[in-house]
Amino acid sequence: MLLKVEELRVSFSVRTGWPFPETHELRAVDGVSFDVREGESFGIVGESGCGKSTVARAILRLVDSKSGRVVFSGIDITSIPARHLRRLRPRLQMIFQDPAASLSPRMRIGDALAEAIRVHAIASGPDIDALVRNALAEVGLPPESANRFPHEFSGGQKQRIGIARALVLSPSVIIADEPVSALDVSVQAQILNLMARLKKERNIAFVFISHDLGVVRHFCERTAVMYLGQIIETGSTRNLFDAPKHPYTRLLRSVSPVPDPEKPAHLDVEEGEPPSPLNPPSGCRFHPRCRFVTDICRSETPDLRPVGAGFVACHHAEALPPAES
Amino acid sequence: MSVLSVDNLRTSLVIGGVEYHALREISLSVAEGETLAVVGESGCGKSMLAMSVMGLLPSVAAITMGHVTLDAVQIEAASESVMEHIRGAKIGMVFQEPMTALNPVLTVGEQIAEPLRDHLGLSKREARKAAVALMEKVRIPAAATRYNSYPHEFSGGMRQRVVIALAIACRPRLLIADEPTTALDVTVQRQILDLLDMLRTEGKMGMLLITHNLGTVAGHADRVAVMYGGDLVESATVKELFRSPAHPYSRALLASLPRVDRDLSELASIPGRVPALINMPEGCRFIDRCPHAMERCHTMPPSVAVGESQAHSVRCWLHVQGGEDAAEG
Amino acid sequence: MSEALTIDRRVRRLPPGRVAIIAGAAIMAIVAAAAILAPLVAPHDPYAQSMLARFRPMSAEYWLGTDQFGRDTFSRILYGLQITLWTAFASTALAMLCGTSIGILSGYYGGRVDRWLSAANDLLMSFPQMVAGIIIVALLGPGITNLIIAIAITAFPAFYRMARSAALALRERDYIDACRVLGYSDMRIISRHLLPETLDDIIIVATLWLATAVRTESSLAFIGLGAPPPAATLGGLVREGFDNLLDYPGLAIWPSLAILVVMIGLNLMGDGLRDANDPRASA
Repeated sequence: MLLKVEELRVSFSVRTGWPFPETHELRAVDGVSFDVREGESFGIVGESGCGKSTVARAILRLVDSKSGRVVFSGIDITSIPARHLRRLRPRLQMIFQDPAASLSPRMRIGDALAEAIRVHAIASGPDIDALVRNALAEVGLPPESANRFPHEFSGGQKQRIGIARALVLSPSVIIADEPVSALDVSVQAQILNLMARLKKERNIAFVFISHDLGVVRHFCERTAVMYLGQIIETGSTRNLFDAPKHPYTRLLRSVSPVPDPEKPAHLDVEEGEPPSPLNPPSGCRFHPRCRFVTDICRSETPDLRPVGAGFVACHHAEALPPAES
Repeated sequence: MSVLSVDNLRTSLVIGGVEYHALREISLSVAEGETLAVVGESGCGKSMLAMSVMGLLPSVAAITMGHVTLDAVQIEAASESVMEHIRGAKIGMVFQEPMTALNPVLTVGEQIAEPLRDHLGLSKREARKAAVALMEKVRIPAAATRYNSYPHEFSGGMRQRVVIALAIACRPRLLIADEPTTALDVTVQRQILDLLDMLRTEGKMGMLLITHNLGTVAGHADRVAVMYGGDLVESATVKELFRSPAHPYSRALLASLPRVDRDLSELASIPGRVPALINMPEGCRFIDRCPHAMERCHTMPPSVAVGESQAHSVRCWLHVQGGEDAAEG
Repeated sequence: MSEALTIDRRVRRLPPGRVAIIAGAAIMAIVAAAAILAPLVAPHDPYAQSMLARFRPMSAEYWLGTDQFGRDTFSRILYGLQITLWTAFASTALAMLCGTSIGILSGYYGGRVDRWLSAANDLLMSFPQMVAGIIIVALLGPGITNLIIAIAITAFPAFYRMARSAALALRERDYIDACRVLGYSDMRIISRHLLPETLDDIIIVATLWLATAVRTESSLAFIGLGAPPPAATLGGLVREGFDNLLDYPGLAIWPSLAILVVMIGLNLMGDGLRDANDPRASA
């Protein structure tokens, strides 16, 4: 197993109230486990505040986790010293949602790429230049780009630069946090195709975080659905979206717009919004919005357990009527 | 009868003393109770179109040709004070970011009541009652108590409901929704779009739905206008457009969409990017990215009808009699 | 001609702040040149006393007259300018160096040390500069070096606060996270990616604080806590001239005017730089 996340928990302290704010614990990620094989892409979907981005940042230790482990190539990277982690970093890279914000604004593209190469002593002298040019070519940018500054590029091009910067380090996993949500549809397709090509040619594994089910279906073999800090269903992407089991997955699936007017959307969409992660409901966290709710849902938190070909955290997973589609 | 009709509209922008056409020869109409979706990617001019209709163009831009007719009144040359009245009473507006449309220091109730007093001349008590009724209408739970809440106490979806209540307060003829759900989560998106549909049918309003999301268009619009680089390249009923897109750009756009309901082997992508306004091609603005580009495309293509129905038109030389075969390939 | 073309007939004006920066820089160039070249330009030895030449009026020989010891006022102003500017420059540079580096480290790492440093900084800031200056000079004792240190301490909080808040804001930016993911050391991130982003702001604050340092130095000198005599500083000259204010007002007024010119020059530059770099001002 290339990357294994076990019972990961991340909490933030949040101060609310006026004029005497009180500190509350916000459990952004509350016991998340999954694993990613070599060359595979694993999707994480959910609405804002479900903790999917925090999972990404905790894997990379951009935020500290409260408990749990992240094992990368057999090494528990949650507990090793920062110095050792730095040496592992090249193999575990990230692509950000806002490509403009993820590039140092005053650095030429060539210098930014060369810096990464130099820091990890991947090449030296003229080889650095060659490596930079190759990486730029691989993401479809002309070699002259090296002399330009980030602001001279369009959003899609900046995302290509972000990918090139990861590529020079020859990563085996790329964590992609909403990599295409800031882009226009046609550019989004360009970037998705580029990432698919890299995955195939370089056997790079992806943890792909997105709110867009269509994009995830296109890119990921397996997917997990998160709700208020927990994974509530996971399995092969096709199964998950064609026959969703958890009521929340069903809801997500039914409200995801399908670009096909011949397929009328379901008419009855429940009102209601995800509650605040500051004060999650008891028992199953989805119970206040669930139409299949029973007493046990209000009192006992369901475990993620095997149901059919996937895993579902719902007390009634087997008993629910099949999802309409 | 059409609530809004835009006829041969051109909006120009002046940059460094040179005039550029940000919108070229746009013609469209919105009928009573109908939703016309305007779709396109960033830089296609869809927001410029909305601003032109509302008379909210920035100081460097102006309508330089054509007409905008709202409820049988021409408004493209109306003065600012007239437009202010029209915007308050005849056009309702819903924007992408509800927080920017609301005043953070006034309660939501007061904000909804204000236009009722200004434009409909209601008394303070009447306005309060009407505002609560409006809040109930947009399904804000416990409307009477939440009348006194401030915008920051609401979630994103609830804020957008407040903005919608504000927009429909004076029973406008036209509702302009500019990316109304882009900032919201998918489950909330659907609720808001359903709400807009319901209000539009009930109030017999015309709706101009501006969006980049083709999925939203498929589920919530009657007709659709596809824009690219300031041109309206194709206009059709929603079913027509999704079944048989005629413009190369519309085709490419639909083919580049990942689907949640089926597996696609590879996404079609459009090479290159939208040119900047200052170096737009003379003729068809899609020419540099179009697989069918030919000599005549250097002159602006006319808008022609596709097939039998007059409702489907496309601005492309491929569909002009004597042009190359319009079929795929 | 279309209507749109008439819209752009706005007054062509210079970018915000440009005029102020140029004017301020010109003033400061002249003042600094005069100070540096004082030994060459000054018509007399500023320390040479002469009982015969006391209280001379303005003349071709003594351009701005002489003081009670017969020293040439103009020459003393030039030399005073030298010491005053040096004091201001050295103290601001010192404050900038310490304040910025500690501020950036404090903001970047956060945590308990950051909280304590911020609290201490707020305490220092709550003293009026003059009071703080007086206390520190009194503690350190007289002398130009001590004066520089004292003024630097009063200027420290401004740099600390600015650098810390910049680091706090930048720390949250994606590109700093990107640097960490790329495996860069904290030192590299701070020096190569964080510091360059704050440099513009630091220079603006430094320019404005130079002016404040000139004022602090002059004020301290005026109440007798400045550079010890016979060294001439602008504040010291005002102080000396003050003794004979009613009979020979020029002795206090000329050095005061010199302070004013320096203040105007530095403030023009600082305000201009700030306006030029204000993202809201550039349309």
